[in-house]
Amino acid sequence: MRVGTQFCPSCGQNLTQPAVVVGMAAVGQGGAALQAADMTLTRMPRFVVHWEELKRLAWVFGLLLATSFAFGIAWRSVHSPWIDVMATSAQALIVLVAVASRWSKLEFLFRFHAGSLRDGLVLILIAVVFVALATSYFKLLEYFGVPIYTSTAMFTAADWPLWSIFLLVSIAPAVLEELAFRGVIQSSLERMLNARDAWLIQAALFSILHLHPLMFPSHFLMGLCFGYMRRRSRSIYPGMLLHACWNALVVLQELTA
Amino acid sequence: MDRKWELDEATTVTAHFGWFGKKVLSVNGKEVYNARKYTRKREIEFSMPDGRAGLLTFNPEFIGKPTIHLRIAGNLVVETPKKPLKCESCKAEAKPYDKFCGSCGKPMPTAQDYELRGNISTATNAIKALAVLFILGGLLMFAVTKTQTDAALVKLEGMQDEATYPTQIQGKAYKVGELRKELAWEPWSVLWINLILATMMIGLAIWARRSPLPAVLIATATYLVVIVASGIADPRSLAQGWIIKLIVIAFLVKGIKAALALRDARA
Repeated sequence: MRVGTQFCPSCGQNLTQPAVVVGMAAVGQGGAALQAADMTLTRMPRFVVHWEELKRLAWVFGLLLATSFAFGIAWRSVHSPWIDVMATSAQALIVLVAVASRWSKLEFLFRFHAGSLRDGLVLILIAVVFVALATSYFKLLEYFGVPIYTSTAMFTAADWPLWSIFLLVSIAPAVLEELAFRGVIQSSLERMLNARDAWLIQAALFSILHLHPLMFPSHFLMGLCFGYMRRRSRSIYPGMLLHACWNALVVLQELTA
Repeated sequence: MDRKWELDEATTVTAHFGWFGKKVLSVNGKEVYNARKYTRKREIEFSMPDGRAGLLTFNPEFIGKPTIHLRIAGNLVVETPKKPLKCESCKAEAKPYDKFCGSCGKPMPTAQDYELRGNISTATNAIKALAVLFILGGLLMFAVTKTQTDAALVKLEGMQDEATYPTQIQGKAYKVGELRKELAWEPWSVLWINLILATMMIGLAIWARRSPLPAVLIATATYLVVIVASGIADPRSLAQGWIIKLIVIAFLVKGIKAALALRDARA
């Protein structure tokens, strides 16, 4: 036995105290746990299920990314709002198929849950804080002379009606992104990881999928707010509403500028 | 390449893998296997002095070092690392064959735990490497873009801000003032974008110590998005450095798998 050892390195028994029944039982449990851990971890059923689920999520994320890439390349040569319509349609197809394939697990998000007045006030407070922080961030970018991409310019240049601009820039992205990130991705991750990690990951994925690193901080904040709303309300609608309102605010600001 | 496994205080197994396929396996310094032959099975069976069956398996990996496992009587053995092993709870020195810490009595990680942690550590190192690449790439691209945009701005001198630039750029007509503003911002945007990405990667590498799975997942997704966004800006960039890109992605994916396996085992 090594000098200074208080516990047996083989069985974990406390060598400074006499062995008692409880102690031995604990050692027995420890041994069983060790034996279980010695199994090939990557073959455990829990891991296999989670790994498969993670691969399915990677497919959803990858397809959305591939769509952005394909239409981003198309956008380089053709500056037409129809590119945006086609990109939105392709993303809608991917998201709706993903939602439909997990409908039984996502159904609860589409119900209206009766919440307390306190819950309602918290959601309103989040919305106010979010609008204040996001506006400040964009003002800061403007202050430093960062050119900000306007999403409505191509629609107004092509004389598209106002309703179509609101539909394509405000409502459609809000609905699709909430379904994809707060619906499919956050819910699947919550079954695999803890709620906090799922919340952070979906917010990060939401921000990076906008493909502009300067927008990462603002969109990460958006992801956090919408994700928290979805967690708190157990419904996708409050986040969807705030998202669409924020997009509409941006559209109005761009049209009046 | 030499590997060592301490089974107990009196038994040590060593393996030597030569450059041209030579494999030497010794137990307590006594050779039990010495051959150069190619084996399709990639495993060596041998007997320990006490009669227990030993099995050494070696599988080359697509990326990284080959996986070498030693099993004695069917149980995976912890490989003796170069630095002494320490207990996670009390930091007391431990031996690879200890199942419990001799100082605090907490269970020591299993052989597979150590292997998965190695993969996570490689993925974390890949994230750190990406952070360094973004910093260096950002500075280099800033210098290159600044030279190009300065030259372009000189060409615009003498033109009115309200005038329309005679040729379209990527199918878009620009006013001179608008173009001037974009050109002045371009090198800074390149620098800022790379610094934001580097900061993100540093943050993720630090976070990976506490929560490896979310950190490595986000880093992988971010890296893929950077590749795609660069591809949209310049499709030629997709073909540039693709071997490095593949290696980084492979390490990150291995890290995700290892972090998920460890997390599920502890749950």
